[in-house]
Amino acid sequence: MIEVKNICKTLPNGKQLLKDISFSVKQGEFVGILGASGAGKTLTLRCLNGLLKPDSGEVLVSNSNGKMQDISTLNKKNLRIARSKIGVIFQGYNLVKRLSVLENIMIGKLGQINPWRSIFYGFTDAEAATAMEVLERFKMAHLANNPTGSLSGGEMQRVAIARAMFQEPQVLLADEPISNLDPGNAQMIMEIIAPLAATVPVIGVFHQPEMTAKYCTRVIALKEGRIIYDGNPNLNITQLNEIYGEELQKVVTKIAEPELNALNITNAIEAI
Amino acid sequence: MQLKQFSIKRYYPFIVGIIVFAALSWGAAISCKIELTGLIEGIGKGMVFFKNLFPPDWEAFPEMLQPALDSLILAFLGTFFGTLMAVVFAVLGAANISHPIVRTISRFLIGLERSLPELFILLFLIAAFGLGSMPGIICLSLGCIGMLGKLLADAIEEIDGVLIQSLTAVGANKLQIIVFGIFPEILPKLLAYSLFRLEINIRLSVILGAVGAGGIGYELDYAFSMLQYHRACSALLVVLVLIFGIEKLSAYLRNMLNIKANLK
Repeated sequence: MIEVKNICKTLPNGKQLLKDISFSVKQGEFVGILGASGAGKTLTLRCLNGLLKPDSGEVLVSNSNGKMQDISTLNKKNLRIARSKIGVIFQGYNLVKRLSVLENIMIGKLGQINPWRSIFYGFTDAEAATAMEVLERFKMAHLANNPTGSLSGGEMQRVAIARAMFQEPQVLLADEPISNLDPGNAQMIMEIIAPLAATVPVIGVFHQPEMTAKYCTRVIALKEGRIIYDGNPNLNITQLNEIYGEELQKVVTKIAEPELNALNITNAIEAI
Repeated sequence: MQLKQFSIKRYYPFIVGIIVFAALSWGAAISCKIELTGLIEGIGKGMVFFKNLFPPDWEAFPEMLQPALDSLILAFLGTFFGTLMAVVFAVLGAANISHPIVRTISRFLIGLERSLPELFILLFLIAAFGLGSMPGIICLSLGCIGMLGKLLADAIEEIDGVLIQSLTAVGANKLQIIVFGIFPEILPKLLAYSLFRLEINIRLSVILGAVGAGGIGYELDYAFSMLQYHRACSALLVVLVLIFGIEKLSAYLRNMLNIKANLK
């Protein structure tokens, strides 16, 4: 469970980036955040794991005891503990390319084990065994000893998801996880992420309304740092137009033919 | 639009530059009293000196092995400790993981070291520790900081900032980020740079040896000052083999690292 209450963020020059953002996500939900570029999607996500401190408002994340704590007010040490239970998937995979796949998975536990032991001894066999189990779950066990840099983009993103799940997170965040992938791989990654929502709340930033319509259980749309829509993932063309404005054309051209029909917006585009 | 056609005009700035450079060189030569005749005469004198070197004193070779080994060890230890120190300075001097103030201080020290010639450092260390290999090792180690520290700090700064962020996001602390994220990524570069530095340090160890750090450089200097030119020639040959051998070895190892790096 994660709850965001009235977070605001203002630049020193007075420009308001986030205005009064509130929402809460429960287990079983897969929330897609949509919005034009500069709408504050990634910024919101970064507030959720404390990479960015909001100027005001609360970000409540349940810790391992099930208690809700505001991660925007934690001190350095507690923030690290809180982060270790928040899984994050980035757009650029962000794995250590010169370590093996298995080592990259185990890095997910760095925040949960004694730092000195991790540096001077490394990981225990038990940890390696659990990491292998996670890899098997994602059907990547055969790649365990490969250098991560030799994997394809889709495989790397799967490793990144496996690492996030190895953290046994309380919440899973995904920052444009499919933006760097071709349509086939993007679909595959979405199919991996969607079922995870059954065990852990998932919040993802996306640029593809057709993907969120297909896989997400709920969509939150941001515009100029404000939530303008929160609800059913199936958006019609009027709603998309309102979210993306001038950028709509760019988003829509990315949509493959079948999905276009599914959204029933081909005619609408012609009308525009 | 008309296409630009070839014209000598295009090269005017270049030609002017050459003329200015030539004029400055000429002026500098006159003010430094450099005369071509002196140069030609000098070459003649040098040839005589060169002739005196041959043949090398073959019997002196066994005596040269120990000093050569000393120089080699001097260079190895200097490079080893120097690389360790350079890594510390590099980590502190990289903008993406270090505090801005710490970075500025570290970068300043790296730059300061680079501006101090090794010979100067050695003379200072000899004054402090006396003659011997100890000041030599310290001097070579310090010499690594300037070059390796800068190269490695730049290598660390090239690492994708989001990689560091993603490690922060799993709750890793600074040291864990360095050990698990940064170190594996710069390791091939670290090895290649320190091998290259080893080549430089072998050459430096010969020069420093002549000044008082011992080893083959001392033998060379001693032979020359005793006017034992044949013996000096043997020492020179040993130095040549030493430098050439290490360069070949280092090039081979660096090549191997590159192949490995490309495979990944």
